[in-house]
Amino acid sequence: MSERLLEVRDLATTFATAGGPLPAVGGVSFDLDQNETLGIVGESGSGKTVLSRTIMGLQPRTNVTVSGSARLNGFEVVGASEEAKRSIWGTEVAMVFQDPMTSLNPVMRIGKQIDEVLRVRLGMDKVAAKARAIELLELVGIPSPVERYRAYPGQLSGGMRQRVVIATALACSPKLLMADEPTTGLDVTIQAQILNLLDRLKSQMQMSVILVTHDLGVVATRTSRIIVMYAGRIVETGSTRDVFQHHRMPYTRALLESSPKVANRSHTRLQAIPGRPPNLMKLTAGCAFAPRCAYATERCHRERPELTVTESPGHAYACWNPLPTTRGVS
Amino acid sequence: MARYLTRRVVMLVGIVFVISVGAFYLIHLLPGDPAVVILGTGDSPQNRAILFKELGLNKPIWDQYFIWMRNVVHGNLGTSFISQTSVAGTIRAALPIDLELIVLSQILAFATAIPAAMRSARKPDGPLDRVLGATSFTLLSIPPFIIIVLLVLLVAIKLQIPHTGPSSYVSLTSDWLGNLESLALPAFTLAIASFVVYYRVLRSDLIATLQEEFITLARSKGLSSRRIMWRHAFRPSSVALLGTAGVNIGGLLASGFVVQYLLAIPGLGYTLIAAIAQSDYLLVQGIVLVVSVGVIVINFLFDFIINLVDPRISRE
Amino acid sequence: MSDQLDELTLIDRPEKSRPLGVLFWVCVGWVGLNIVGAISANFLPLPDPLYQNYSAINVGPGLHHLLGTDDLGRDIFSRLVFGSRVSLAVGVGAMLIGFGLGAPLGMLAAYRRGRFDGIFTTFMYVLLAFPAIIATIAVLSFWTPRALVKIIVVIGLASVPLVYRVIRTATMGIATKDYVVAARIQGATDTRILLKELLPNVAPIGVSFLLIGIATVITLEGALAFLGLSVNPPTPSWGNMINESRTVLAQNPWLVIFPSLAMCLFLLCLNFIGDRLRSHFDVTEVKL
Ligand SMILES: Nc1ncnc2c1ncn2[C@@H]1O[C@H](COP(=O)(O)OP(=O)(O)OP(=O)(O)O)[C@@H](O)[C@H]1O
Ligand code: SF4
Ligand SMILES: [Mg+2]
Repeated sequence: MSERLLEVRDLATTFATAGGPLPAVGGVSFDLDQNETLGIVGESGSGKTVLSRTIMGLQPRTNVTVSGSARLNGFEVVGASEEAKRSIWGTEVAMVFQDPMTSLNPVMRIGKQIDEVLRVRLGMDKVAAKARAIELLELVGIPSPVERYRAYPGQLSGGMRQRVVIATALACSPKLLMADEPTTGLDVTIQAQILNLLDRLKSQMQMSVILVTHDLGVVATRTSRIIVMYAGRIVETGSTRDVFQHHRMPYTRALLESSPKVANRSHTRLQAIPGRPPNLMKLTAGCAFAPRCAYATERCHRERPELTVTESPGHAYACWNPLPTTRGVS
Repeated sequence: MARYLTRRVVMLVGIVFVISVGAFYLIHLLPGDPAVVILGTGDSPQNRAILFKELGLNKPIWDQYFIWMRNVVHGNLGTSFISQTSVAGTIRAALPIDLELIVLSQILAFATAIPAAMRSARKPDGPLDRVLGATSFTLLSIPPFIIIVLLVLLVAIKLQIPHTGPSSYVSLTSDWLGNLESLALPAFTLAIASFVVYYRVLRSDLIATLQEEFITLARSKGLSSRRIMWRHAFRPSSVALLGTAGVNIGGLLASGFVVQYLLAIPGLGYTLIAAIAQSDYLLVQGIVLVVSVGVIVINFLFDFIINLVDPRISRE
Repeated sequence: MSDQLDELTLIDRPEKSRPLGVLFWVCVGWVGLNIVGAISANFLPLPDPLYQNYSAINVGPGLHHLLGTDDLGRDIFSRLVFGSRVSLAVGVGAMLIGFGLGAPLGMLAAYRRGRFDGIFTTFMYVLLAFPAIIATIAVLSFWTPRALVKIIVVIGLASVPLVYRVIRTATMGIATKDYVVAARIQGATDTRILLKELLPNVAPIGVSFLLIGIATVITLEGALAFLGLSVNPPTPSWGNMINESRTVLAQNPWLVIFPSLAMCLFLLCLNFIGDRLRSHFDVTEVKL
């Protein structure tokens, strides 16, 4: 048995907005072991970014309430002060952001942005930090790192910038790496390169990785487990195999059918999910997917389904009218 | 960068040319014979002959401009026939006072506006931000000439602090402490006017910068708030501040004129107003030319510095 | 379907704009009172602002002279009311010229773009680099004898580049919006788009900037008057009064305090109204 790294229980994040409270994450629980890779998938706006930031304790400092618990290697993140959280940021957990175009400081040389972590968090001196920063740039596959060390972010392509962000995140060898859609802003060939890089670094540096994406194709081969999110909640979770082949929740199927890479493989027709994601400020008591669900019954509109476990360990879904099980059929 | 610089220099030269034509033409705005006007109380046959030769007054206007321009380039702005002194010399004597005033006021303004804006931006709409916001908004509506009059009334007349009243200017070379005292109220007045602008610009820019994703990334690296505020937020925002400071120079000089006038501090402003009162038009023309070109050049330098600080601009 | 539409509008609805508030209307009232006073000064039961009463020199505020008299025995209150005329005339007059020239040009340039815009904008930016206040002082000191009309014209012309820039930037933000592009594609005439689509949207920005512009011009005129470069004494103006008070600061501080108060209050109200309108219409701050 490998050791538990992260325990999330009933984690909820609510923003106070001008139009009223906005529950972006509404009660999420899951665990993550050391050296495990977990995928979090869901449409845009399903709360993936908010969830991953809340787990780190990196939510905005004002107008937000967090409840529940997120224990990272024994450290309770929820309710911890900014100072306390600073002690785990970078060293225990680090993040790769969604958009490499905005996540680097445009007026600071990239080398300095990596140096800074090494000097502040690891107490390295100038010379050692610079040497290590160049090593890190090399590690993430940046050509001629010595020259690039002095470059400004504006002088690099999106893919290169994302590599710099990854190098920054790896600087203090964190135990958990949060990669929030690390490839969304990049073109397809670069996407694969970055994902392979993350894979390689994960095994090289003995990290756990949480890979957030809206594209199931991305997580199919790289994660051991998947969480499917809808409207701020987990609607299905299980081993990657279970989620892909034995999913019970209609939304999971819809997501699979809308993913080009996955859909092609299973020879089904590519289908967009009809309707639009719900307005989080106007969630009803029922299943949030009901307005868009082909299987919705009267009960779905009235009562929200809780996660139900299946016979397969770790596989659970939230649905009143689950799809028929395909287990044992093939 | 090189292309950007060339473009700016070409523009600079163009503007300076326009200014020089404008300053040259000022004399011709005056009704009547320019010679009579320029000579003023110094009108005599000899002076008239000198003037005609110096300015080429009997030649076509473009020739006059080139004659005048050649003199200007050689540092010769003419000789005032009213005070019998060289215009360039008078300006050279007065200019350091303006520079000292500006430097003092800007040190004060930056030293107060930057920390104030940093604190405000950290908690927008917090108590401190509200107080500073209301204060700066009120100060924005008080013109510098009113500030200085009220300060003089309070400090020099009611409190009787030495060297602060009208006509009590002490030169830097004779007594540096007295000099500082005599420039305290003017520098403070100019500083208030600059503070208001700098504070407001920097605050709103900082608030915008703090929303940026790279600030969240900096947080996620476990850096201290102090470091994030200065290294990551202030630096990109300082570009807006520098830009404002550059644009502010013209207004600052003009406010300087006002305070010098009230306290009879013999800088360019006081000299200019006195020259206008005595119809010493050559001197007025010289000061206008020097000040305008000075402002443009300073603006240009600020642009250049901004370029060095912010790698984003020249690449766009 | 209707449910979906509802969601759409709910999600995309912008935040409610802040209400204007009581203070806003107090300011409007104060500005209105000043305007009424300036227009009807001749008909108000006020002493002659030029009448020198040598038996009542430098008296403080009281029943007979509401705000006291100056060193020549002239009634301060009356001079304040009459003096507001100069500030208002210069402020409004100069901005009429500035907007009259700058606003149409700015709108046209932003709408047309291309060569026309390029030439005008470069030209205006060149002028903008020129310190307006120094230019104003220079021209006014040579263009003698001084008169109210000349001051209005000079300041008005000096403000054109600034107005041009503000209006052009504002128009450009709107001209690229979908509904304008749609109107263009549907073949609406240029005049129609400019007047029906652009003008109503630029107008709120223009109005809030106009108020702040008037305040700026009044400040400038005050500074000129303080330097003795505005309308000639004995015509009362706020700036003139402050200038004249310099010599008697110690003996009669009221002489500087009242015109200063009058001017600052008026400017504060104008700025406040402009600022509130700007945030009401959700316009980003325009640098002055
Ligand atoms: N600071 C905030 N204030 C208010 N609402 C917010 C804030 N941040 C996020 N939200 C809201 O929370 C919801 C979830 O957003 P989130 O960014 O987590 O979605 P996501 O799943 O990451 O989507 P994407 O794939 O587009 O990144 C959205 O409705 C968003 O509007
Ligand atoms: S609970 Fe009902 S509405 Fe929700 S996914 Fe299941 S069938 Fe669809
Ligand atoms: Mg996201």
